[in-house]
Order: sequence, then C-alpha cells, then structure tokens
Amino acid sequence: MDTFRVTFRAATIAFLLGGLWGGASLPSAKENPSIGSISPERVADYVHAVLEADRTIYTTHIVNRMQEKGIVAATEHWEQENALPLPAQFLQQSGRLAAESGSGIRYRLIGFSPIYQRNAPATEFERKALDVLRRQPERPVTGIVSSGKKQYFQAIYADRAVSPACVTCHNSHPLSPKQDFKVNDLMGGIAITIPLE
Amino acid sequence: MTETPAPSRSGARWGLKTKVILSMLLVGVIPLVVGLGMAFWQGSQEIREVSGESFKALATEAARKLDLLLAEEIAHTARIANDPAIIHALEQRRDMQSDSTRQTAAFTDFERRWAARDAAAIKSLTENPLSTLLREYYTGGHSAPGQLLPQVVRASTKLLFLTDAQGTLVATMTDHPAFRHQKTQWWQGAFNKAVGKLYIEDVRFDDQVNAYVFSISLPIMDSLRYEVVGVLHRVIDAKEFFSPATHVTRFGKTGHVMLIDTKGIVVSCPILPTGVPLSDPDLIPLVTPQHPGWVQASSDGHGGQSTSVIGFAPLPETSRATNGSTDSGSWHTFVWQSSDELFAPIQHLFTWVTAFGAVAVVLLASLGYVAAGRIVTPVRQLQQAAQSIGRGELRTPIQIQTGDELEDLAEEFNRMNQQLKAAFAGLTDQVKLKTQEVQVLQQSTDQILDAVPTPILLIDAHEVVRYINQAARESFKVQEPMSGTSLFKILPLDPAVQKQLQAEFRTNGDTSSAAADIERETVPRDPLAPSADHESSSHRSELHIGSRIYHYQWFRLPARPGEEDSIGLVLRDTTDESRLQDQLVQAEKTGSLGVLTAGIGHELNNPLFGIIGLGEVIQEEQDLEHIRACARDIVAHGRRMATIVRDFTGVTNREAFDRQVPVYLEQILDQVLATAQTTVEMKDIVIHKTYAGNTPVLVFPDQLRQALVNLVTNAAQAMKGSGTLTLTTGVSGRTATATIADSGPGISKAHLSKIFDPFFTTKGQGEGSGLGLTVARRIIRKFGGDLRIESVEGRGTTCLVTLPVSSPLSPEGGPWTPSASRSEPQPSHSS
Repeated sequence: MDTFRVTFRAATIAFLLGGLWGGASLPSAKENPSIGSISPERVADYVHAVLEADRTIYTTHIVNRMQEKGIVAATEHWEQENALPLPAQFLQQSGRLAAESGSGIRYRLIGFSPIYQRNAPATEFERKALDVLRRQPERPVTGIVSSGKKQYFQAIYADRAVSPACVTCHNSHPLSPKQDFKVNDLMGGIAITIPLE
Repeated sequence: MTETPAPSRSGARWGLKTKVILSMLLVGVIPLVVGLGMAFWQGSQEIREVSGESFKALATEAARKLDLLLAEEIAHTARIANDPAIIHALEQRRDMQSDSTRQTAAFTDFERRWAARDAAAIKSLTENPLSTLLREYYTGGHSAPGQLLPQVVRASTKLLFLTDAQGTLVATMTDHPAFRHQKTQWWQGAFNKAVGKLYIEDVRFDDQVNAYVFSISLPIMDSLRYEVVGVLHRVIDAKEFFSPATHVTRFGKTGHVMLIDTKGIVVSCPILPTGVPLSDPDLIPLVTPQHPGWVQASSDGHGGQSTSVIGFAPLPETSRATNGSTDSGSWHTFVWQSSDELFAPIQHLFTWVTAFGAVAVVLLASLGYVAAGRIVTPVRQLQQAAQSIGRGELRTPIQIQTGDELEDLAEEFNRMNQQLKAAFAGLTDQVKLKTQEVQVLQQSTDQILDAVPTPILLIDAHEVVRYINQAARESFKVQEPMSGTSLFKILPLDPAVQKQLQAEFRTNGDTSSAAADIERETVPRDPLAPSADHESSSHRSELHIGSRIYHYQWFRLPARPGEEDSIGLVLRDTTDESRLQDQLVQAEKTGSLGVLTAGIGHELNNPLFGIIGLGEVIQEEQDLEHIRACARDIVAHGRRMATIVRDFTGVTNREAFDRQVPVYLEQILDQVLATAQTTVEMKDIVIHKTYAGNTPVLVFPDQLRQALVNLVTNAAQAMKGSGTLTLTTGVSGRTATATIADSGPGISKAHLSKIFDPFFTTKGQGEGSGLGLTVARRIIRKFGGDLRIESVEGRGTTCLVTLPVSSPLSPEGGPWTPSASRSEPQPSHSS
C-alpha cells in the first residue's frame, strides 16, 4: 500500500516540479519578455496533459490491474478499508497536495451531478463552462476570472469516465444524484486555475 | 469349588447389581457431562461470535449514522461558509490587508478593547453585518424550508465565529471568543496554507463554555475557490450534540453505543461522562483500528475487568477531518454489553440443562436399579444352583423364565446337572469295584504277612505301629487292637538299645547296620584281644528280647501321595542259630585245646625226658666234669622248656622296659639269627645278609626279637635244614623294611590266606603251636609297622617286615645292647 502511495507521491511530485518550473518561468517571462512568454492556455494544456497521463497510468496500470488480480480494490474509504484511492480521489488529493505546496496552481474536478456538493461548479464561469463542454468537449473552456482584486486564468477541460471504477462508484453511491453513468460518459471537468500576478 | 457364602462375598466386593447400576450411571452421566460441557463451551463461543458480529454491525451502523449526523452538521456550516456575502466581505478584507498595513495599529487597539470586554467594542463586532448574518443562519433565517437547524444542534452550538485570512476575529455570534486565532491548531488546520481543509477538533474542556466540546472549522474560500479568505469556527457541546444519537441505541440492560476518539477519550456515552478516558488503556489500541471489527477483551473499558465482547467501527468521513487527517486522529464507535448479560442466556440454559440432567441421572439410577434387579436375580439363582450342583445337592431343575440367554444358561445348567449325576453314578460303581479289589488285595497281603513266620511290623514316622503280623503278635503277645501303640511298648528293650534303634529309625533304618558291617570288615579282630566289647554287639543287627535273639532289618514302604513313608521292621529269630554257632565254636575251641595240649605236652616232653635222663646220669656219675656237663645240658633243656612255655603264653607284658627304646634293626636281626640257631638245625643253611647300615627303630627289643625269631625259625623249618636264608634291610622314606626270605617249598594259595589265623599250622603235632605268625604280626603292628607274607609255591617264602624309622640314636645312649639275662624268661613274672 505504501508503495502505491509512494508512487502517487512520486507522480505528484513529478507534476509539481513541472508546475514549479511553470510558475518560475512565468515571472521570468514577465521580467524578460524578450526571451519569449508562454500563454496561460499553453500552461494549462501542459498541466492537463500531465494530470491526464498520471491519472491514466494510475487507473490502468495500478487500480485496474490490482483489482483484476484481486490483490486490492479501489474504494472511497480507502484509508479505513486498507484499499486504493479511487482515480477521482487520486486527482483531487494530488490537487490538494499541489495547492499545499504553495506554487499557486490549483486544479480540481467539478461535476454536472457531483456526489458531494463541494465538487459542484463554484462559479458562474464554471457552470457555463460545463454547459459549453457538454456540447463541445474537445477543447477546454478558458477565461480570466477574478476574486476581489485578484485575477486568475482558468481552463476547464472535459472529463470522462475513464474507467469502470468511476462509473461503478457514481452509480452506486447513496449520495450520487445521477446513477446511470456509462464508461466514457462525460462526467464533468477538470478545472485548472493559474494566478495571473 | 469354594463354598463361601454369597452374602459375605457381596459385602466385600462390588456386587453385580451395583456394577450394573454404576455402569448405567456412568454410561449416562459421562456423555451428559461431556456433552453439556462442550455445548456450554460451544454455546459461549457462538454467542461470542454472534454477539461480536452483531456488535460490529451495530458499531458500523452507528458510525455511519454519526458520520452522517456530523456530515449534515458540516453541510449546514458549509452553507454559511459558502455565503457570497461573507465571501465577498472577506475577499475585500483580504484585498484591503494586502494593500496596506496601516490598519495594524487600529487592530491592536481594538483587540485591547475586546479583551477588556469594552461594551462598544463588543457591540461593534457582534452587531456588525457579518455577525448578524451568522445569527440569522443560526436561527434558520437563511435555511431553505425544511432545512432548519434542529433544536438540539442549535442548543449545542456554543460558539460560532468567523476569522479572516490572518486569524483575526471578524464576526461572532457570541461575545466569548478570543480576538486572534492564528496560532491555534484548528485555525492552522482549517487555513491549511490557504488551501483550506475541514478541521474537526477532538473533545477538550472549554473554560468559556464550561463543558466538553468539539469544534468544526471550515475554511471560507474566495469566490473562485482558489484560496482561503477566512475560517468559520463552530464549537459544539459534545454531550449535547451526540447524546440524542448515541443514547437512543440501547439494548438489554447494559448494551449501548459510545463514541471515542483515538486517545480513548469518551466523546459521548450513555454511561460514562464525556471527556473521561477509557478505564483500561490497553483496550484503546484494540478498538481503534481504521476498520470495523469486534474483539474479545479482558476488560470492558467501563471499569469492569470481566471478559467483554466489544464491537467497534471508525467514523469514515469524520475521521478524515479529525485533527486535520486520519493519521492524527479518528473517531470510533464502541459497542459493548456486559458479559454477565451477554452470557446470561447460556448460563440460564446451563442451569436448566444441569437441573434436567440431575433429573435424568435420578431416573437413570432408578431404571438401572430395576434393570439390574431383573438381570441379577436370575444370575443369583444360577449361582446358588451351581453351588448346589457342586455339593451334589441339586434335586429340582432350575426355574428361570426370562426368555433370554439366562434362561438358556439355566437349561444348560439343568442338562449339565443331569449329565453330572449320570457320570457320578457310573463313577460310584467303579469306585465300589476298585475298593473291593483293594480290600481283597489288602486281605491277601495281610494273610500272606500273617502266614510268614517272621515277625513283621509297619511303623509310621512317629514310631507308632500301624500293622503287626500274626507271627509278631504271637512273639510279642500283642492283643488284637494294637493300632496307635508305640513300637517300644511292643518291643520291651533296654533304653540303650531303644535309643540306638530310634537313631536307626530316624535315618530310615537301613544305613546303620550296613555301616556297622563295614566297620567290622575294616578293623581286623585280634583273637587274643578281649573281643567281647559292647559296641560291636550293639551294632550287630540283633535284638535281645526276653530270652530270644532277633536279627532285624528295616525296609522302606513307599507311602501314598501326601503321606509320610512308613517303615517296616522285619525280625528274624536267630536264637537257635546263634546257640548252635556258640556250641560249634565251643567244640572247636575244645578241639583246639586238645591239640594244643598235645602239642605242649609233646614239646615239653622231649626236654623233660632229656632232663630226667641227665638227672639219672648225675645220680650215678662220680666225675665232676661230667656232672657239670650234664648240669649244663639240664639248664639248656630247662631253657628250652621255658622258651616253649613263653611261646604259648605270649609274653606281652613281661617286658623289662616299660617304654620303647631305639635299637638298630640289623643288630636285632643278628641276635635273632643267633637265637634261632640254638633251636633249629641251621648248619647246612647258607645265610645271606644284605644290610642297609644301621637302621634305628623304636621298639620293645624283646618283643621284636620274639617276632623275628618266629619268622626266622619258620623259614629254617620250612627249608628242613638246607637252603638259603636271605636277610635284607632297607630304608625308604620313614619306613624301614626287613626281609626274611627262604628257599623252601613255599606256601600254597589255600593256606596263604589262613596263615595269620590263630592255631593254624602246617607243622606236625608238637612242632608248632599255630600262634607264631599271629603273635609276630600283632607285635609288629603294635610298633606301627606291618608284616606281610609273600609266597610262590615251590620257590620259597618272603616275610616283609615294615617298621617306622625312628630318629637317629644319641651317642651317649648308644644302641641298646641286649644282655643274655634280658632275653631269658623270668619265671617270677609268669602267671
């Protein structure tokens, strides 16, 4: 179990390093525009690619294989049940770790019909973005959002039920408002927020 | 067949009946006890298992329930935290603080007033719009219809306040909270580096509230949910909040659900007060793992030390938030019921089963008694019947109608009894026949014994006469009824003989007489020694009873098995026989005396006539010389006569010396030769001497000389005046040997065996007394030597004299020298 945790951490740290690099590159870009700057869209794409890749590796090569061999399953209360975190939890947890690192990058899952209300779209922008994604899931919805005086770039990527674990959990959870998900259904989005100052 | 009476046997041992009852009881009781024990054990195990599983399920269910309760409460609180107005206000506050630090001084001033409980300051904070908003939320003003805070929750909420991103108090529902919270654990946990996290604080005692409380701290995120702009803190009285949920779950008298944290502190319990730890610290790790389960513990956590079954389960969602994460703390339900109550049903069951078991045992014993009676009675009958058969008294057939093997057995007994009777009848006839045969045999034996003229007595080991035959009865004048009489009552004997007879009797009668015979053979009798000694007469198997003499003989009579052998005594009347023998001996003696007398007369006559003639010559002789010559002849004749007389009387006691003296054997031989030449014609006899020097011997010289003279004279006479006489001495070891060998005609074998008999002689009347050799041998034996005669007819005779060699003669004593006077007979000694 610890091995797996170490694996997640390793994956997360790898990602974080990428994030740090990105974070570090932004001010430098600002200071030295002549060197060339990266647009927030590009950064969000990078981060999303890493997230997707990590989660896919975790889902297919760890969770699915472990479950197939009957070694250990992924469950919601994995701490109590001595099990693996669900892929969604994996992403949420890594997002928390990334946030706690202080780099400024934030990402989280938001759903059309989330099990917990905290995972519902928090802002008007997020709600609208999900509506857009429902129609056009191929491209992320991006925009500049503000909280008080602070401005952030936000990109929301469509997120699908990547594995049977996602579907099973959402369809069977007592708090889940929608219980007819199928694999590869659009379930919500990954919201990546990058501060602009 | 033992005839021990049945009662004593059953008294000493376990009777069959007792055994049957006991075995039935054992057969019943042992499985009962074992089964009961196993059932009790198994029952207890199963109750434990079932209870454990139930408790686990209950704990899990209670955990879920409490989890939901808390989740709901968190959701309620989250609604406040998500209020746009609050978020907006706090966002502004954040932006303001980031813009300038001007307000720091004003803040410090306000803080001082707040701490001093300045009414204006308190009012300014508790009456501001955010505080009002909080109160409205609290009273349910902003809740959707049907989502009002329950009264319990409302009442249990002791503090509800809001801080900004710096931990400074922004709004509060009550006036208690401190002003700055940045340093507190809950604030840091909820702020979580501006990322924000739900933080549930473990139960602690709050002085302001004066109760055990727990708190929920929620981060207030900005509108983008990007970062924390404030923290909403809610302090709840644990007991008040949880008791409606935990206290309702009661089962039995003691069964209940309680809520504890990782450290074992009670959050809520119907029995224990909130805030106290579990009584047994060892129990805590057992009941606080991160998964539901049940455990059998040695204490109950409520102060009891009895073995308890405890179910437990963590609150899954809540535990994630307690003290920031599961690792730093978690909450667990704890389901327990007193083991007395838990095991009461099985205890009851056990008591009842024991009671019924006792009843069953009593029943078993009674039934066993009846059954044993039914089995044992016919067996007793059979036993008595068997005893009767053994005594041969069973007349009526055994009557047993049990319809089973016992009845068959009884029939077998009856059949056996009949067969035995038949067999016994045949046997009786045979015994009668045999007895008759034996009687006939006995009678014939008696008749044979009675017909024997010899007295025969049969005696048992105690010297009691068992049988006495006709001849004995007549001899000893015994009346008919004689059994039981001692042997010596029948045989009147003097005590010495009686004693000897008893000794013989004890050694079975046969050895003594044989031994006596051997003794007689080995010890040669000297005819001249007094022969009538007591021993020999008593050793002879002879008994003098009255005037009669009996020769007796013992014989063994093998006894019947188990009895001692009896001994027979056969007596033969030898009175007439011995009398005849005596007469014969007497006649022989008389005859011998006549011969002897004639021989003596003849021997003495010759010199006597010579003396008479010489006397007559002297009467008429004038010549003195001639008279003297005649007188010398008279003396010589007288000596001759004296020698003859001495020969006959055997001069044993007439010895000059009263002790033996050492002499040289060769010297004696020379003297003997000289003496012999005076009596026997030896002119033509060639004498060879082969001496081995001087051989000392310890003897009475006269007697040895007499013995040797006899031998030499015999040799000379045997050769009839011509031949060779060889005298030889020799020493081998301690033995001196003198050999006197002649070349005479020898002695015939028939005579050789008799030559030592007294009065045996081959010489003519008057020539020899027949005593010479007898006397010679007796003398030599007296000195510890021996005399043997070896002779081959026609070749001569050799006399071998052996004597023990004495120590060498001392110089001063010198060899004894014979004097002429010594060798002469001394009339004064003759008797």
